Amino acid sequence: MKNKALRICAAILAVYLLLGVAFYFVAGDSLRLTKGSNETVTPKAPLAELAQGDIISQTFRCNYDELESLTVIVGTMGRQNTDMIKAQLFDSENHELTKPVYIYTADLKDNQAYVIAFESAIENVKGERLTLTLTSLNGIIGNSISFYYGTSVDVDTGRVTVPGEIRDTDALFFNGERKVDSEKNPCYLCLTVKGTNYHWFGSHYWIVYAAGALLLALYLLYLSLCYRKQKYGHLLAFLLSLKKYNFLIRQLVARDFKTKYKRSVLGMLWSFLNPLLTMSIQYVVFSTIFQSTIPNFVVYLLSGIICFNFFNEASSMCLVSIVGNATLINKVYVPKYIYPFSRTLSSCINLLLSLIPLLIMMLITQTPITPAILLLPFALIMLFLVSYGVGLILASMMVFFRDTQFLWGIFSMLLMYLTPIFYPENIIPSRFLAIYRLNPLYQVITFVRTLLIDGISPSPMAYLTCLLTCLVPFAIGVLVFRKTEDKFVLNI
Amino acid sequence: MIQADHVTVCYRMPHDRIQSIKEYLVALIKRKLQYEEFYALRDVSFEIRKGEVVGLIGDNGAGKSTLLKVISGILKPAEGSVSLQGNVVPMLELGSGFDYDLTGRENIFLNGAILGYSEAFLKEKYDEIVAFSELAEFIDIPVRNYSSGMIMRLAFSIASMVSPDILIVDEILAVGDASFQEKSYARMTELMSHGTTVLLVSHNIEQIRRLCDRVIWLDHGRVVAVGDTQEICDRYANKG
Repeated sequence: MKNKALRICAAILAVYLLLGVAFYFVAGDSLRLTKGSNETVTPKAPLAELAQGDIISQTFRCNYDELESLTVIVGTMGRQNTDMIKAQLFDSENHELTKPVYIYTADLKDNQAYVIAFESAIENVKGERLTLTLTSLNGIIGNSISFYYGTSVDVDTGRVTVPGEIRDTDALFFNGERKVDSEKNPCYLCLTVKGTNYHWFGSHYWIVYAAGALLLALYLLYLSLCYRKQKYGHLLAFLLSLKKYNFLIRQLVARDFKTKYKRSVLGMLWSFLNPLLTMSIQYVVFSTIFQSTIPNFVVYLLSGIICFNFFNEASSMCLVSIVGNATLINKVYVPKYIYPFSRTLSSCINLLLSLIPLLIMMLITQTPITPAILLLPFALIMLFLVSYGVGLILASMMVFFRDTQFLWGIFSMLLMYLTPIFYPENIIPSRFLAIYRLNPLYQVITFVRTLLIDGISPSPMAYLTCLLTCLVPFAIGVLVFRKTEDKFVLNI
Repeated sequence: MIQADHVTVCYRMPHDRIQSIKEYLVALIKRKLQYEEFYALRDVSFEIRKGEVVGLIGDNGAGKSTLLKVISGILKPAEGSVSLQGNVVPMLELGSGFDYDLTGRENIFLNGAILGYSEAFLKEKYDEIVAFSELAEFIDIPVRNYSSGMIMRLAFSIASMVSPDILIVDEILAVGDASFQEKSYARMTELMSHGTTVLLVSHNIEQIRRLCDRVIWLDHGRVVAVGDTQEICDRYANKG
């Protein structure tokens, strides 16, 4: 017995060590850094042509650890010019950060986005207020260029929007004079900041990894000590009961699965067809009627539908799992969590089956399949936890209040609209985003989409938010269920 | 083997059964959320030794089924405790664990698992169960196509194929036609004589007299008497 416990502990530790290393290589660069760029103001018009000595300056706040390049939009008035522009970058104390970059205007086309690439990336500038100046070295009117600017007033909505990296007070200056448009609105240079953020987690990965291994080893040691003393904590008691009742769980899952499609002609095929058909309908509706412009809309839709369907099915099945098994619960002692647990597991089989059409659609739409897909189990485990947790809450509520089933019908519909299944996330007003992102399904679905559509691992922060938003409902579910399960018999 | 120590079970029953949030809130506002305390068991103590067959007698509502629930762990007593060694297997109300869309074979495994049998045990006893139920030719068709007698036979065959430490029987199960009734009765008595501790609830005093070593008489949740079968059965019969 002692040897067996030792072997299990060693196996768990070995799996952790292996997964940790594998994760590092699969997740790759996303773990250490995120490259990004800030949006720019919408181009409105070019400024006046720059004559020799004219200076444009724009101050902005850098949101990146490392600044890679700046992109401006040039206007050549449709001709070839021979001017040369000197681009310089200063910090807030007016020290020049890097060697100037010279822009040869002869090579430029009208309305071209010109990337000002510095000699090397500029480090340690996060949060700094930097100023870009553009100076004409020998411009003559008629043979020089200008740059596009925009106002903070959005043409379509009339709202004032300033990109995150530019402050209201950072106006565009032309020869030291603040540039305003005819309505006295402040103007900004069309400027895209591109840079890289480094993650603490990525640069300290191996330390975290080692600390995790140490903690795990200590915890396993503690558990095995408890086990020897026969003092079972929650986790150990749960694992032992899983072992004891694993035959029952398998039978219940097999029952659910067999009876689900038992009397239908197509049987198991429905697990493939259902998400595909839902996707087709929504695809037609949203791509033709609502003119959705989401890239790779097929995979976008299908991944959202599959995740949400799983959640919906699992939680609704859990809802009736206690009430529906009333006769059994009254007659045989079985740990009550087994009923919702087996229901969630049987939905899992359905989920795994519906991943097959998703893969097929990825192949058809020629979405590149990268190693990042190996990280999918993390998202699926999180999805399982949140569905099971919500299922536990619903199952216990249902025992005491039968209204729960009707309320849940409405609530799950609300949740469907609160999750970006068929619409892009950016239609949500930014002031609601913080609340919007608390939705665990949002977290899981965006996580899955980053893996499948972008083909990269999400940033460490995405792992953390996904983990937290999913663990909270799970923990609440477990607490509520434990607190109420003893009273079930009296109420069903 | 089984030791009950001052077991008290108290149902807190609201006057009207409240089953919806609206009713609950209305009752709460009207301050009508009164509970009636109903003692299903009050201070019940006894001890059952290994291998004993113990009968539980009493009128309807005496708390017999509640006591069985407490012993099998379904219900937690409000006060007191029950300690027991070994696994408890209840004789289910026949067929309550069946799924009517599954075949007889699948139901044997499902129902067996619910009763707490192990996979190895079920595989070993599978043929025996089928043979006892006399349903070999129907075993692969869905149970919903069975006659009620066939369902009873299958259920009994599964339920009686046990070798538990403690067997809980709520009314002796005699089902099916005359010959199967005889067979099932024989099976029950055989089960009880095999050194298994049995707790038997029955309204049939003759059965209790024949099968039990000792008897516990419950009335309104209290133990009236514990002791020799014949003596207590006589007293129970003559209580008026």
